[in-house]
Amino acid sequence: MSSISEIKPGTTSDSVQHLQDIDDSPVLLRAFAPLHSFAMGIAAGVVVSALLAIITVVLLLRGTDDAITAGSLLGQFFWGYSVSLRGIFIGLAWGFALGFVMGYGFALLRNAAVWLWLTLIRSRAEMDQYSDFLDHI
Amino acid sequence: MYPEEQQLERAVILLNGKLLGIVLGFLFGTGLFLATNFLVLKGGPHVGAHLGLLGQFFPGYRVSFWGSIVGFLYMFVVGMIMGVVFGAVYNKIARA
Repeated sequence: MSSISEIKPGTTSDSVQHLQDIDDSPVLLRAFAPLHSFAMGIAAGVVVSALLAIITVVLLLRGTDDAITAGSLLGQFFWGYSVSLRGIFIGLAWGFALGFVMGYGFALLRNAAVWLWLTLIRSRAEMDQYSDFLDHI
Repeated sequence: MYPEEQQLERAVILLNGKLLGIVLGFLFGTGLFLATNFLVLKGGPHVGAHLGLLGQFFPGYRVSFWGSIVGFLYMFVVGMIMGVVFGAVYNKIARA
């Protein structure tokens, strides 16, 4: 069994290479770790629903015709929404649903893209590694 | 499976809430700044009739050059708050 100090430069053994891989792993983890899809969905849902609720509350407090008109335009996109007390809760529900779908979808797409990229990198590395396989027979 | 591959399967990214807030703040702020100035430069009889509705939420905001700076500040604050809240909620759930 050889220790690390016995290994000469240019004769890297598998064990040393493996140790080096583990040392590098935090950097790799930071680069390739996936997003937590569920957390992303919840976080986006909370933010969007809070935003919609705050918008409705501000418009309700203002109570001018302009404010009601501006807010009611959102009802074109969110079925059942209006600038009213009921509208706050409907806005919360719509905002959460929309935010969740957006956040979850974004995380899924991002993770799929990274996975594809990693698969491509690994395939190329394996091809490079075995490209001169026949030369050694 | 290598240990690093196992680590990669278990790992999830955590977000830097403050950084996300600053980035979102600049994005939102710059977006409104550019949109406002685009409409100001475009001109016309009713400059920014729809964008001007933002004045309902942001007192002092108007579709003018000065309004674009006020809008930038408002949107920066909104984006900052959204980013910080987003990061905090995400990290809380991702760590659980």
